[in-house]
Amino acid sequence: MSKLLIFIASRIVAFVLTVVIGVTVVFIIPRLLPYNPVEAQIGFIYSIGQFYDPTAIESLRQTLYELYGLKGNPVEQYLGVWRRLLTLDLGPSIMSFPTPVATLIGIALPWTLGLLTFSVLISWTLGNVIGTISGFFNHKKFSKLLTGVAVVLYPVPYFILALVLMFTFAFLIPIFPLGGGITIVGVGFSLDLVLNLAKHAALPAISIIIPGALGWWFLSSFTLTSQKKTEDFVRYAELKGLPNGVVLRRYLIRNILMPQTTALGLALGGIFSGALLTEVVYAYPGLGRLLYQAIINNDYNMIMGISLLSILGVSLATLLLDLLYPLIDPTVRYR
Amino acid sequence: MTLIPRTGVDALKFLGIGLARFSNIFLEVFRTSRAFRVGLVIFAVMIVLGVAVSSFSPFDPRRWYLVPPNRPPSPEFPLGTTTNGQDVFWLLTWSIKNSLIIGLITAMVASHFGLILGMLAGARGGLADRILMIMTDSFVVIPSLPTLILLAVLLRDVMTIPLMGLIISIFSWPWPSRQVRAMVLSLREREFIATSIFSGYGVMGRVFRDYLPFILPWHLVNLTNTVLFAISSEAALAVIGVSILSEATLGVMIYWALNYSALFRGLWWWLISPVITIILIFVSLFLISKGISDYSNPRLRWQARG
Repeated sequence: MSKLLIFIASRIVAFVLTVVIGVTVVFIIPRLLPYNPVEAQIGFIYSIGQFYDPTAIESLRQTLYELYGLKGNPVEQYLGVWRRLLTLDLGPSIMSFPTPVATLIGIALPWTLGLLTFSVLISWTLGNVIGTISGFFNHKKFSKLLTGVAVVLYPVPYFILALVLMFTFAFLIPIFPLGGGITIVGVGFSLDLVLNLAKHAALPAISIIIPGALGWWFLSSFTLTSQKKTEDFVRYAELKGLPNGVVLRRYLIRNILMPQTTALGLALGGIFSGALLTEVVYAYPGLGRLLYQAIINNDYNMIMGISLLSILGVSLATLLLDLLYPLIDPTVRYR
Repeated sequence: MTLIPRTGVDALKFLGIGLARFSNIFLEVFRTSRAFRVGLVIFAVMIVLGVAVSSFSPFDPRRWYLVPPNRPPSPEFPLGTTTNGQDVFWLLTWSIKNSLIIGLITAMVASHFGLILGMLAGARGGLADRILMIMTDSFVVIPSLPTLILLAVLLRDVMTIPLMGLIISIFSWPWPSRQVRAMVLSLREREFIATSIFSGYGVMGRVFRDYLPFILPWHLVNLTNTVLFAISSEAALAVIGVSILSEATLGVMIYWALNYSALFRGLWWWLISPVITIILIFVSLFLISKGISDYSNPRLRWQARG
């Protein structure tokens, strides 16, 4: 078997294991509790006092028992969770009863995906380029200044920075709106609509881009480059008289990209969590906002659905990133 | 095979050596690293605010409507008051205390669990190592926030500050554990380990006698990072509404400020006080950990001097 096939197989096995362990953890949690969460919630719905169709309530009860893995014997329970997850049938939402959880997540997901893909790509690329250049010229003034900025930005979580940015650019200097995804929903597609979307997405995106680009990705590529540039192959290239640009592009960046891609895969979970919170801070209509509403409305079904789908989604994104790895690392491609 | 410590006297001796080494590292880092000194001073101020100053509060600052609401900063209320009629300054000192407690509990539980597991996996090797590492890797990749939210929601009725620290620990051990194992693997082929094995030391003996002294500086860095991680996790849970909303923590302060649209209504002091405090705590802890890790990495120490 070729090295590439072994590589792909091992990544897929790791993906399956992660999802299995993640779902199993979510399966075990409610069973450790001293009370029955399902009946507590059914009671909560009745306590609101509205009249609901008894068959709808019964179907909700069935779903909850299956999702919490409390129906039938343990093996059936465990398989029930998997069946629900794989068919994306996550049952009705409690706060917008009886709209299915999957439908609501479907509405919120494009907002989160769009914001996340855009900001992660920009922050990773920008951070690595700036970091490699500063690492190469690490005795210049600008790289010392940038390192100072990074030391302050790196430990601060996304949502805290989001709050600072919101205070500065929506309160002190009101350039951007304080929150929301879009103000007027115009008819059809127009330039105004795009501008309005961009204006609302700008601050949330910047809040994800800046700590990544100037904090984490900058610091790691800076450190990697300052170490790599003392190695013999770089010295040789310099002694050969190659211009700095060529040394950077053909010798250093290529060696930085490999560990940084792996790091991106490992960081995706954290970035995703950060994006969820950034959405809450800006009241951006994505998954984070939905999760927040589910929490204040005691919609356990929705919380469960979002948790399970996040585990699946982040693991899948990590897998895809891993599978792109052979494109940049030639030693995986050949024997 | 013998296990260490063999006698109580031995155990005391090892503890003594560990403490001596610990204080040596501390003094040396304090002397050489400016980052460490700056971080330590800021962090000390936070500890004084949270531990000493908070106990002088004239009333329980968590209670609502004890002071007039929505007042801007003034001599009477140095950091203003909230819409709920709470004094922001006293609330802040209590919040610092509780957030630090959460950080400390997580650091004590999770980073030591990760340390011991990583050392055992690395020192023992074989099947046990492989199983432990598959588990650890999965925990690293599972998005921690949604799972933490689920846990916190389910435990909402019985949640306390220490329990919060324990729950956050669940996702704070895997990454350190991975790092420790990698370090142990790089040490394992060294000659003194072979000497230890032939002298009859078991896995536990090698872990505490041979590996631990090498990993100790790194472990100190990790302790500070874990405090940082725990405080930010609690704040994250609070912002999304699943922390203990009747308690005083930095995250819960931010939650109520957001919930009452403090910025929109011009009550900036309510939101900005906990935010600046959190940033100060994070930067100070990061500077402390940077000071220690620069010291423990001789190559960087040389760079800093040269």
